[in-house]
Amino acid sequence: MQAPILPKNLLIVDDSKVSRMLIKAHILAAQPDWIIHEAGTGDDALRMVGEQAPDYCTMDVNMPGMLGTEAAEKILGQYPAIRIVIFSANIQEAVQSRAQQMGALFVSKPVTGKTISQAISYFTETV
Amino acid sequence: MSSNVSHEFSTAQVVNNVNLGLIVVAQELQVVLWNDWMSRHSGIVREQALQQNIVTLFGGQLTPGFLRGLNNALNYGLPSLLSSALHRSPLPLYVEHDGSKAASRMPQSIIMSVLHSAETGAPSCLIQVSDSSTSVKREKMLMSHSDAFKRDAITDALTGIYNRRFFDENYLLAVRHASRHRSKLSLFMIDIDYFKPYNDRYGHIQGDKTLQLVASTLRAQMRHPLDICARYGGEEFILLSPGLAEEQATGLAERLRSSIAELAIPHETSPTATHVTVSVGVQTWIPDQAGEISSLLKGVDEAMYHAKKLGRNQVVVKK
Amino acid sequence: MNVLSEMEIDALTEVFNVGAGRAALTLSEIIGEEVMLSVPSLKVLNASEVSPAVLAVRDGQFATVSQMFTGPFNAEAVLLFTENYALEIVREMMGSQMSIDDLAEFEQEAMSELGNIILNASLSAMADMLGITLNSSLPHYSISSRQDIADRFAGNGGDGSYILVLHIDLVLQKHHTEGHLIFLLSSTSLNKLIAHVQRYLDTIL
Repeated sequence: MQAPILPKNLLIVDDSKVSRMLIKAHILAAQPDWIIHEAGTGDDALRMVGEQAPDYCTMDVNMPGMLGTEAAEKILGQYPAIRIVIFSANIQEAVQSRAQQMGALFVSKPVTGKTISQAISYFTETV
Repeated sequence: MSSNVSHEFSTAQVVNNVNLGLIVVAQELQVVLWNDWMSRHSGIVREQALQQNIVTLFGGQLTPGFLRGLNNALNYGLPSLLSSALHRSPLPLYVEHDGSKAASRMPQSIIMSVLHSAETGAPSCLIQVSDSSTSVKREKMLMSHSDAFKRDAITDALTGIYNRRFFDENYLLAVRHASRHRSKLSLFMIDIDYFKPYNDRYGHIQGDKTLQLVASTLRAQMRHPLDICARYGGEEFILLSPGLAEEQATGLAERLRSSIAELAIPHETSPTATHVTVSVGVQTWIPDQAGEISSLLKGVDEAMYHAKKLGRNQVVVKK
Repeated sequence: MNVLSEMEIDALTEVFNVGAGRAALTLSEIIGEEVMLSVPSLKVLNASEVSPAVLAVRDGQFATVSQMFTGPFNAEAVLLFTENYALEIVREMMGSQMSIDDLAEFEQEAMSELGNIILNASLSAMADMLGITLNSSLPHYSISSRQDIADRFAGNGGDGSYILVLHIDLVLQKHHTEGHLIFLLSSTSLNKLIAHVQRYLDTIL
């Protein structure tokens, strides 16, 4: 008998509620058993990572307060096993390299079926 | 006007005689129109250009800005500008010269607009190229784009801020501008106090570091985009700011003084303080007031020396 | 009076932020350095509510760049910066070696292109995310006073027209500037825009 596989937890961080709903809808369409948590700021994200211990995280960059890239670095510092995808409208070279350097994946907005697939592949690939 | 049935001239004649480059690129990036001006200035004749993919035609030399313009037109139906101000010369085009002088690269202004086929509605991109090398100012602008030479010629090697030469040139322009437009102009002269004793006590390397720090701190106090801060002499700096009222200029002068004092750079051998300080002279030229604008420079110099005589680490306003 | 729901405003703000990202990329290629461009807020006003205070524009002269759009609906878009900020932006875009006179000479060209970059980027984002394709005129540049601007927006199309006001934050070479992007639409055009936004939201909800 197979051991039960625990459903994965995903934390979606974005100050736009519409963006969070969009990402959630696309993710659940592909992975209906995942559990989704949401945060609207970098600070909330840090708190929720401590409380919920998600496996994966999508992170917007331009948010009020802490920048998403900063929040991502902090999270990876404390929980290096979490896989983070930086989902951003800021598509310049500097942001992409920063994401790479910290060990996160960069995916450009807008959120579409295709960009979500890229994120899911990154989350689920076996290292 | 009907397309090509005039009695005096044809559309093709017009297209080939305008003093502008005209290119039309269709949806799959093939060139479908190429006028004589383009042939003359690109070295690519119409027969070579027609039906060629525009990217391969220019040997992969097209700039990101130009390619984005094409993309905007053909995929989104949006027109674009490539101003000569922001793009020096997107296409490899040359200005002809008479005689033995080699052809030089042409600075260009490019407009890309969208044409829709009457039958299919398919978009194509109309590209108009004009030569913008006409004015003397254009030459100055082009030189500002060339990194190495011009930058060294107008910035101070040690501190990286503008040098005296740049200041002198711009001071004259600012003075002319203020007289012509009857607007205020404030000038600030800043001199580091007891700098020679500082060098003697801490060495030239530390002296250089302090000069760099003072320069960047002074520059950081500028608020207005037209303010200029330059290194005027060994330990002397000058700052120009248009449009300030006298009280505002005094306020800025005090900020200049205090920002340096707050750096708290130790200076044991200064009789005035235990740290590096500056003396500041300031004067504001106000239109319709007595006094020539030409006396501004002399005035701030005198004010700054007066600040020294009064004990240094202070501001003197010249009335 | 709220013309747009909170979700509709959220969705539109996202569209403009994607546009801002694209415009920032184009600008960074021109300047050779990272550019920060964002659209922190968006509101919809009835033209009758417009006044200089409501537009939150300060006193002085303004550089404006406008483009006319036609298609499934019509709109005029205006990018607005104070003249001080415009000159500063031009200086940062062209390389700060310029003298005052030279900057002023190139202000028109450089600002027209800046406006064109931001508007094109916004429209390409609208096309990709909301499925809206509009035809556009070339940018037109002018300098206006605060009152001229309020008059222009208030007087456009009489009653029943709307303006979308977006606040823009732009950081070039560590210099922070801000401006506004304003769309003028008739109520019919606004309804069409809302219909597109609704269709976009329907895919999520």
